[in-house]
Amino acid sequence: MNPSNGQSDDARRYVLNVVAEDRPGIVAVTSGAVVRMGGNIEACSQTVVRGYFTLIMIVCLPADIEVSAIRSAVVDVGSKGGFDVVVRPIHGVALPAMPSESENFIITAFGEDRPGTIFRFTSYLSDKGINIVDLYGDRADDRFVLISQVQIPPQWDLEMLQADLEHMGTELGFTVQVQHENVFVATNELRLRRERVKP
Amino acid sequence: MLRTDVILSTIQMLQAEHLDVRTVTMGINISDCAGPDVTLICRKLKQKLRAKASRLVETCNRIGHKYGVPVTHKRLAISPASVLLEGHGSQAARQLAEALDEAAAELGIDLIGGFTALVQKGMTPGDRVLLESLPEVLSSTGRVCASVNAASTRAGINIDALRRLGELLPQIAERTADRDGFGCAKLVVFANIPEDNPFMAGAYLGAGEPEAVVNIGVSGPGVVSSAVRRRIETSGPLTLGELAEEIKITAFRVARAGELIGREVAAELNVPFGIVDLSLAPTPQVGDSFGEILKALGVEKIGAPGSTAAVAMLNDAVKKGGMFASSSVGGLSGAFLPVAEDAALADAVRQGHLSLEKLEAMTSVCSVGLDMVVIPGDTPPPTIAALMADELAIGVINNKTTSTRLIPAPGKKPGDMVEFGGLFGASAVIEVRNAACSGTFIEFGGRIPPPIHSLTN
Repeated sequence: MNPSNGQSDDARRYVLNVVAEDRPGIVAVTSGAVVRMGGNIEACSQTVVRGYFTLIMIVCLPADIEVSAIRSAVVDVGSKGGFDVVVRPIHGVALPAMPSESENFIITAFGEDRPGTIFRFTSYLSDKGINIVDLYGDRADDRFVLISQVQIPPQWDLEMLQADLEHMGTELGFTVQVQHENVFVATNELRLRRERVKP
Repeated sequence: MLRTDVILSTIQMLQAEHLDVRTVTMGINISDCAGPDVTLICRKLKQKLRAKASRLVETCNRIGHKYGVPVTHKRLAISPASVLLEGHGSQAARQLAEALDEAAAELGIDLIGGFTALVQKGMTPGDRVLLESLPEVLSSTGRVCASVNAASTRAGINIDALRRLGELLPQIAERTADRDGFGCAKLVVFANIPEDNPFMAGAYLGAGEPEAVVNIGVSGPGVVSSAVRRRIETSGPLTLGELAEEIKITAFRVARAGELIGREVAAELNVPFGIVDLSLAPTPQVGDSFGEILKALGVEKIGAPGSTAAVAMLNDAVKKGGMFASSSVGGLSGAFLPVAEDAALADAVRQGHLSLEKLEAMTSVCSVGLDMVVIPGDTPPPTIAALMADELAIGVINNKTTSTRLIPAPGKKPGDMVEFGGLFGASAVIEVRNAACSGTFIEFGGRIPPPIHSLTN
């Protein structure tokens, strides 16, 4: 096994992504297909948005199985549910995208629903090298809520970012707030993450 | 990763229910400013306050912004000013108060506490100078807050001090008659004064505290009353136990937000973090009222039977939630009933639902006592002293803090309206029944001995 990328002569790692209409059993049949191919699931996460299910897994499979065969095996077990499947080999160890001194913030935006809102916000964040680690958006009637958990590199002045986003929010009909994640941790979790509070 | 519902519930508290940190109060020891020359004392005092607190306001604003939780008040609490007045006269007291007033203004601080004397067992010359200066100091300065500890569970009640305070209070009121006796709103008379209370007007830095310290007072009652109302609206039939649970959870979250900000402010200012005071401190703003919580709990008229039980339940639930949230709980940490500063309480007095006697009963299960209570301007001094003695007796016997902030509004009769403005609010004058019937009791003077600590019925 190569410790840098987890590969060996007789095993390979893949990202396996499944999209389907949500129903009971998707994870069961997908993991069953992996097991039958002689594989192992090393990490997984799922989410459901408006009845649509998406699953991402890191799987380790025998090296002699082709990517197309992996994909077919998962598509076949999902035939009744109509799985869309993507399989991508992992060629190296994924490195953290952000400098370790980045701090986590929550950006929340509430306002009227308009096309292009997420594009404007995310383009701004991308331009600043701000990584989105989690994103949630939902529309109810004509109102839209957008919550993004982001990592802000230390070179950015928080008050300037807040001013920019508030200005953008005013243009788009949104109220926007940028808040350090610790206030959400403090008010909701039993154990405080004191090490995150920078003096 | 934080869950979306968790984020949304905090956002609800911050935006819809206006969660804030009510006060960040920096305690500063000023004993080392003592000296033989008053001008030198004042100069050292200003230097010290500048050195310790010049970044307080800016730091609180910046950190509040970072978390989206505003810090409403930034204040200072010094160690007892009476210490600096030992060996000096009345002129020194006035100069000292002016120096404090000027320093606070320079630092952007609206109130500075600690013009304080601890006289529960007796008075030093410095204490006496401070007490006698109160009419002048509280009428000529805008930011200086005074407090006197006149009783404790270990010492009993210093009736001599209360008798004198009963005489001084109308003098303070007369000197501020153009503002309906507002000077008295900056004087708190305590039993068992806490050394680390961040709330004004009674904040001071007590013995045993560090050289400098940051104490915080959590958000006001608006958050709790919104949580109670929302729970009632969104749930089926509820019991009081379930409502107490909701208050407890809300208090936990409020205390956590406060401690987070307090600790970071303290770290940035390089001083120790002291305590989180869990007290729900109302403001005259609509919705930020302790009385509104009682109404949400179903006590339709504040002062009606059930009021004391509701206050007891609320106060206890707040403490339970806050104590679990933080290992640094201190200060007063009870519910406040400051009548003029709480729109619903003031309204209850105006409508005659809340009497002085019922208010006193309610204060026996919470803090801080007969607070911001406007009484008739012609209330006899011994009666004022006796009102104080009654309230302090509750604290002394029950081993807790109680206090009075009584305002004998000059020329005002029961039912007349008095408006202080701003945070100090407005209230109708409350009736003092059986006035002028306590003179002989107070005239005996001396000290009511401390209570026994067994046979606790």
